[in-house]
Amino acid sequence: MYKKTRIFDLNYYKFTGSWAWILHRLSGLALIFYLTLHIWVINTLTKGPDKFNNVMDFLNSPIFKFLEVGLWGVILFHAFNGVRIIIIDFFKGAISHKKIFYIFIIIAFVLWVIGGYRLISHIQWVH
Amino acid sequence: MGYRWLSFNFSYSMGTLGGIMKKGFRETSKKGGIPWLIQRISAVIIFVIIMIHFVTYHLLSEGAFKWDKVVSKMKSPWFNLMQFLLLCTVLYHGLNGVWMVVEDYIHIKGLRLFLFSLIIVVGISLFFVGVLTIIKVSNFNLEILRAGVIK
Repeated sequence: MYKKTRIFDLNYYKFTGSWAWILHRLSGLALIFYLTLHIWVINTLTKGPDKFNNVMDFLNSPIFKFLEVGLWGVILFHAFNGVRIIIIDFFKGAISHKKIFYIFIIIAFVLWVIGGYRLISHIQWVH
Repeated sequence: MGYRWLSFNFSYSMGTLGGIMKKGFRETSKKGGIPWLIQRISAVIIFVIIMIHFVTYHLLSEGAFKWDKVVSKMKSPWFNLMQFLLLCTVLYHGLNGVWMVVEDYIHIKGLRLFLFSLIIVVGISLFFVGVLTIIKVSNFNLEILRAGVIK
């Protein structure tokens, strides 16, 4: 028999690993949603230059650039938390998994600020 | 303790699809060893390729994408092979992740069957859409190359 899993057991909310787990899960679901749209939109490459350029002009608007900054953050969180999971699973990471989590969060945050600054500074406010 | 992967018992692992075919969507803890390992291996591949992909396409490019630029970027077969590898690994990793979420929360047999079929259908469709994009863009490049040679 299985033990019923709650979506997020509030008894464990105070632990770092619990938050890492639920955020990893949520960011993964967000990324698979983005991936579906991404593959679909890039498929317009096959429909000729005019259609593709129109779509890309539409996606170059400020709102999508800000969403791209969010995407970069979600990717970095999922990627670096994933590295933490691999360290825990294959190496002796379980001993200090909280420390590893905070170190990776800081690295991811720095990369997010650098990439986000680049994305925002390239926004064309007037078309 | 630190080398758990060495003592990992692969005889328990039937793989997601194999386990489901045999056990008929009953929940057991004796499947999923191979997907667990592939999830980690694909994660390493994705980590490397997606950083290159995001930095070159999203961070280093300025302004809106232009068709000519994107197509000419996909001239190299090695680059296309990398895109293909990224497509395969990301689709497996992502959809296996969704199936893991379904396994945790959905315990109704029919609903599990429906969601599993949905994941497989979405995976196959996205794979074909992605592969067709890569192949057609490579053909555009060949046509451009041929036109240049004739002129």
